[in-house]
Amino acid sequence: MPVVRLELSRFAEMVGAGKEKILDRLPYIGLDIEGTDSRSVRVEYSPNRPDLGTDYGIARALRGLLGKETGLPEFQTKPTGVAVTVDRRLAKVRPYIACCVATGLDLDDEDVRQIISLQEDLHNGLGRKRKAVAVGLHDLDRISPPLSYRAVPSTFEFIPLDGEKPSSIRSILSDSYEGRTYGHVFNRSKVFPVISDSKGTVLSFPPIINGNATKVTTRTRRMFVDVTSTSQKDGDDVLAILATTLSEAGGKLGTVAIKYPNKARVTPDLAPTALPFDLDLVRSVIGLDLSRREMLACLARSRMGVRGNMVLGPRYRIDLLHPVDVAEEVALGYGIERIKPVYPPSNTPGALNEFEKFLDSASTVMAGAGMIEMMTYELTDRGSLYDSFERSSSEKVTVQNPKSLDHSMLRDALLPSLLAALSGNVKSDYPQRVFEIGRVYTRALDGVKEFWHLGCLVAHSQASYTEAKMYLEAACRLLAGLEVVTKAAEHWAFSPGRCASVTAKEEGLGYIGELRPGTIDAFGVGVPVSGFEIDLSKLYELLK
Amino acid sequence: MSSALHPLERKILSALAPLGSAPFEALVAAASLNEDQVRRALQWLASKGLVSIGSSVESRLELVREPPELDLVRQVSQAPAPLTVGGLRGKFESPDEFSAAFGRARGSGWIRVEEGPAQVVRVADAAGIESLRSVVQSIASGKAEDDMTSEDAGIISDLLKRGLVRRVETRTTTVAITDKGRSSSSLAAAAGLIDRLTPDILASGTWRDRKLRPIDVEAKAPSFFPGRRHPVRDFIREVREVYLSMGFIELQGDSVHPAFWNFDALFIPQNHPGREMQDTFYLDGLSDTALKRSGVVAKVASVHEDGWKTGSRGWGYRWRIEEARRLVLRTHNTVLSVKALSETGERETRVFAVSKVYRNENLDYKHLAEFYQMDGIMVGAGLNVRHLMGFLTEFYKKLGMAGVKLWPTYFPYTEPSLQVVGYSKAFKSWIELGGSGVFRPEVTQPLGVRVPVLAWGPGIERLMLMRFGLEDMRALYGSDLSWLRNRGELAGS
Repeated sequence: MPVVRLELSRFAEMVGAGKEKILDRLPYIGLDIEGTDSRSVRVEYSPNRPDLGTDYGIARALRGLLGKETGLPEFQTKPTGVAVTVDRRLAKVRPYIACCVATGLDLDDEDVRQIISLQEDLHNGLGRKRKAVAVGLHDLDRISPPLSYRAVPSTFEFIPLDGEKPSSIRSILSDSYEGRTYGHVFNRSKVFPVISDSKGTVLSFPPIINGNATKVTTRTRRMFVDVTSTSQKDGDDVLAILATTLSEAGGKLGTVAIKYPNKARVTPDLAPTALPFDLDLVRSVIGLDLSRREMLACLARSRMGVRGNMVLGPRYRIDLLHPVDVAEEVALGYGIERIKPVYPPSNTPGALNEFEKFLDSASTVMAGAGMIEMMTYELTDRGSLYDSFERSSSEKVTVQNPKSLDHSMLRDALLPSLLAALSGNVKSDYPQRVFEIGRVYTRALDGVKEFWHLGCLVAHSQASYTEAKMYLEAACRLLAGLEVVTKAAEHWAFSPGRCASVTAKEEGLGYIGELRPGTIDAFGVGVPVSGFEIDLSKLYELLK
Repeated sequence: MSSALHPLERKILSALAPLGSAPFEALVAAASLNEDQVRRALQWLASKGLVSIGSSVESRLELVREPPELDLVRQVSQAPAPLTVGGLRGKFESPDEFSAAFGRARGSGWIRVEEGPAQVVRVADAAGIESLRSVVQSIASGKAEDDMTSEDAGIISDLLKRGLVRRVETRTTTVAITDKGRSSSSLAAAAGLIDRLTPDILASGTWRDRKLRPIDVEAKAPSFFPGRRHPVRDFIREVREVYLSMGFIELQGDSVHPAFWNFDALFIPQNHPGREMQDTFYLDGLSDTALKRSGVVAKVASVHEDGWKTGSRGWGYRWRIEEARRLVLRTHNTVLSVKALSETGERETRVFAVSKVYRNENLDYKHLAEFYQMDGIMVGAGLNVRHLMGFLTEFYKKLGMAGVKLWPTYFPYTEPSLQVVGYSKAFKSWIELGGSGVFRPEVTQPLGVRVPVLAWGPGIERLMLMRFGLEDMRALYGSDLSWLRNRGELAGS
């Protein structure tokens, strides 16, 4: 989750409240306090609320909750005369652009830091790592309108941000960090988007990098914002969040005319989002019998307004989808901590799942027999699952792009996990007797089949087939009232001649035996090991 | 240490008493114990002054090889026909050995070579060689060095130098019972104390006349590790019992589901960052091809695109069936709740499941790739946020976490959404325990459900860490036998 750093003295001034009060209230607008020090607090915000991505945005919400400044924030925009012409060849590359201007700014270092941090969060969140949306911030005083959003070949050159000499699009894509990280959004396109002004100065090569000429500093008084995107709605959402934040930072907002080959529009559009005001729905969801007037007061503290039978949310609230979303705003405005919990008594008896009960009993039986229960991971690695047992399988169930190779494939048996567990405990006292009740997977035509197995291992200098069989017989007798039959068989885990199949009522349940010396050695366990693995799902079927 | 004797000590004293003193090996045999037991018990007895242990070194000679000159003279004297030097050489395997033996025998005057071209060898001094022969025989038969003459000693030192004989030293440990030991042993014997109660003693009734010998009750017993259930399993059982007491029915379900149930049915848009491979385990090359855009699937698809008939705006993108068909390891158990909801519909229900979820994470102290969640839902007309709060407060209280708070949070599938936080004394802060909320109409209406559904899906590991006083989640599944064997049984309850 994205994080905002709040400098407490600055923030307290923005909110108009004391430090204690602020720390106490932050969780009630949905922010998680991630850490604090004497001068600042770091808070995490949900990705659906990018408007909380700066201290300005958080202060705006908190002033509402504390009753310092309530109701729908109003945002005035004036036409600036700046226009952007869009090249038709960009329709298949990065079709949409939305822009705005903020004038009268007087930003300090912290303001710039907050805005840049918001820009990064928007790139990663709504922007889907710049693929869907990218933002450029520029000093308007270094730009000569009108602008054009145009397609250029890969040989096109300009001086990128913080660069000294011109680079080509091609070399930026192949040599720069940004190019290598985000360049894949172009797929195999032959043309690339740039935003340039009437003198040919390049503002940006979205979504990769800005030009150096129009860089924003604390001396910037008039800012130009460009937002390019693959969908118009996403671009408008991001621009609304940026524009309203700049407005909070003291900027006066100006509109920009966007001229597409077949249409024209003016951005930003900061008209409020309207949702039907369904009072009964709100009452039924939050369980409070509030009057319309009480609700209006709650909504005002959540920075919402009401016009007739519609609730109006500020344009930066991109999370308002359904009339039910009004309910949460009322609840937050009312104060979550003021809502009294009511325990709903049960009218029906509960019931445990029979198979889960069976699995739990299996654990009790094996522990009673003197074994220690292990719970290991279902995702494992090829080495311990296959290679160490000198087996292979075409039926492996692997996962895509695991972060760690230790969790790259779903196990089809418990014995490898248990043997790996023994391998990590060679310094513990012997005898060691362990078991696991766990899920295993096999590949099937239509996907994957899942089974519950019971695996047991006995490890000590005298460990034998016979000892393993004592535990096996006890388990099957006590859990299912079944006498099992063991017949000589072959299995990848067990030594030939010391291995048997396990059946009951002519159903194959699993295998038992003494582990192969080579396998024991591969896991670095220095004592004989015997054990068994049976299918509890099948045993349960036989029991029924 | 108690004055009472250990059973091992008593066995040894009673074996030693009739012998007075005995070599260690003999004592081991007489006491019918193994060497280790005897060695250990002798240390205790000696420290109590009940036995004395002495050791002596004995040396004896051992014949490595017969001197070859003896063989040479024997060959000459026993030959049926006179032997020449050449014939004699042929009887030896190595010419060097022959040369050395021949030189020594001739130099000592035991043999001579007749003049003449035939070079016939004859015995010259039969008695002279006899003293060497008898020394060799004595050594071979194990005769003590002390019993030999001073003349023999010269021959022995020559043989030692030549490496034909070597001196072997053996250390003998001799144990003798002391007077104190004898009296303690005879006291015990005289009292006729019973070492160990046996079925025979019980059957015969002789226990009426004899007492049990006191034992060392302070001695350490051997270590012992009983079988045990895993602490996570015990905790899961506790959670299940809490749910049961609150009228819930338990669900069980598969770990692998099409992305449709894990994500789409929960109104999580297809381009949501949480659906990406770096967070979710997708199974290689597997998809649920049977999933078609019809019925519930079609309704869910429309909800994503434009809100369908729910009154929602939807997410406003083009929904793809291929994305919904991909098989995933469930990233939350809400998938089980929503599937159950699709079956039970609007009927008033309370269901829960405690089972594993999977996230493509690098493991660290607060992240696991597999962990447990204890999800539940409550369906019924008239349910609202206050009931959700009431349930969660009571649920956590029953699990030993009183005084939880509820803070607003966000999930794509609930509105409102609340997170449960509990105060951690260890961290001196409020710790997030789990998410909850009221299912959005976008989730319930495609399943034909128009009544409120309360839902929650907290993990169990954080609660367990708080209980066990652990700081690293990996410890729970680390298979550390030492912890599993020795952890306090009540720490987790």
